[in-house]
Amino acid sequence: MSLADPELDEAPHLEPPPHDALALETRGLDFHYGNTQALHGVDLGIARNRITALIGPSGCGKSTLLRAMNRIYELYPNQRAEGEILLDGEDILARQTNAADLRARVGMVFQKPTPFPMSIYDNVAFGVRLHGGKPKAELDAIVERSLRRAALWDEVEHKLGSSGLGLSGGQQQRLCVARGIAVEPEILLLDEPASALDPVSTAKLEETLLQLKKDFTIVIVTHNLQQAARIADYTGFMFMGRLLEFAPTASIFSTPRLTRTRNYVTGRFG
Amino acid sequence: MATRAGSASGLSLGGVRSASRWGEYLFRAACFSAATLLLAALAGLVISLAVGGWPALKAFGWRFLVTAEWNPVTDLYGAAGPVVGTLATGFLALAMALPLAIGVAVFLTEFCPRRLAQPIAVAVELLAGIPSIVYGMWGLFVFAPWFAAHVQAPLVAQLNEGSLAARLFAGVPNGANIFTASVILAVMILPYMAAVFRELFLSVPAQVREAAYGLGSTAFEAVTKVIIPYVRRGVVGVVMLGLGRALGETMAVTFIIGNAHGLPSSLFGAGSTIASTIANEFTEATGELHTASLIALGLVLFVITFAVLAIARALLASERH
Repeated sequence: MSLADPELDEAPHLEPPPHDALALETRGLDFHYGNTQALHGVDLGIARNRITALIGPSGCGKSTLLRAMNRIYELYPNQRAEGEILLDGEDILARQTNAADLRARVGMVFQKPTPFPMSIYDNVAFGVRLHGGKPKAELDAIVERSLRRAALWDEVEHKLGSSGLGLSGGQQQRLCVARGIAVEPEILLLDEPASALDPVSTAKLEETLLQLKKDFTIVIVTHNLQQAARIADYTGFMFMGRLLEFAPTASIFSTPRLTRTRNYVTGRFG
Repeated sequence: MATRAGSASGLSLGGVRSASRWGEYLFRAACFSAATLLLAALAGLVISLAVGGWPALKAFGWRFLVTAEWNPVTDLYGAAGPVVGTLATGFLALAMALPLAIGVAVFLTEFCPRRLAQPIAVAVELLAGIPSIVYGMWGLFVFAPWFAAHVQAPLVAQLNEGSLAARLFAGVPNGANIFTASVILAVMILPYMAAVFRELFLSVPAQVREAAYGLGSTAFEAVTKVIIPYVRRGVVGVVMLGLGRALGETMAVTFIIGNAHGLPSSLFGAGSTIASTIANEFTEATGELHTASLIALGLVLFVITFAVLAIARALLASERH
């Protein structure tokens, strides 16, 4: 049985979180790469202080959806989003929303670690310095707190001045998480953050994310179904640019409503 | 061992192995001789410059470097004028070209609509390939007269006689001077530097750029704080190559620098560079000392260029820590 079987033409099944618990919401979101439409009318609600995972086969649009949420796609001239993405009731796709300000509120961690060519301290302080100078003592405190929250402090405490590029892959990724949360964003987007990491580093990162959801709203795109099952409160299954099923993680994995979702999460396809 | 086992089994494996070993040997020998040849050529160049320039160095000693007088009639030669001219034009040109080159490259990689970026990039690379004599002619026939009439003369007329500024900008108003030579040099190295800077900025991984923007950087912040630091070794390399080209450029500078011996008197005064002096005088040098002095000048230029590269390497090495 193929996942793309035309007979499986089921209507999407969405069980979003209660409306007043939402930190971010997409309404009828379409996305285009040039002439190719990558997202079709996605309605997704992201619950505050929860981890929401997006799963689905390659090319289903899950990374695209994530990249719309902080408008990072705007760096590329032929990509565009249509519809609404509401952050605290405000449409971030609106022309008057400043992208730099938005990205301070909606942080992002990428698939590969992307430390900047500067010291560990400067990496974490980078975003804070962008958004207004802070006295040294306060900056020190922010750097320490961010590194502690990212579960990296103990490993780098004594070498804050050395280059971020000298850390291991897993440490670099946690450094990027620390850098992302140092500016206290409301939402943290993670695009397959563990795909380049070994199992031990992955476990550490997952533990970090579970700690972080106390303070942040987290959206994670992952290829690793176990990872979604382990850490996410809500999971959305995407297929061919559509959000097909969205529900609390437990029901997505134990009682999926759609055949396609069931086939995907049981490993029969994807 | 493996080859012996191979031939014992009756296959021609041993033969194949030894043939490929021969190939390997030849390959290594070829690579080794290529590298050695380069070193030998370098050594030969330095030695012949030193030997050729020796009479001048012996006659004038270290004063060759600090004497400004260059007089074929009295057979007195000092390199200070051309050395100062070379360094002044080189660094002035770099100071003018560097910000522009970075600006062009940043525009092409960060802001320019894609449909325009490619044609502009090609145009920049074509500009980099224009022969220097063309720049020199343009400088002499178009730029220098324009500069004399529209910049030099009005500027000098504004200044109080005897003031510091007046001395800095003093000179015959014909447009052939240190400053216009620097401008021509800047125009020459600009497209080259812009093209390499563009390549450098494009080599920054997309995810690093996205991470910079993703933290809320403006384009200016992303470029100055992440993208340029990410390729800073390359940036220093481009700067040094640009400077090296400016220091050694001959024809365009010879056309427009005014070719006056001795130390340049002001920014708008005529001067000479090492390369322009050699180009102007080598065919006419009659005395042994004159020829030797020109060769010694060549050695000085070699040392300056070498020093520029050495300093660049030292800077890069210290940055790694």
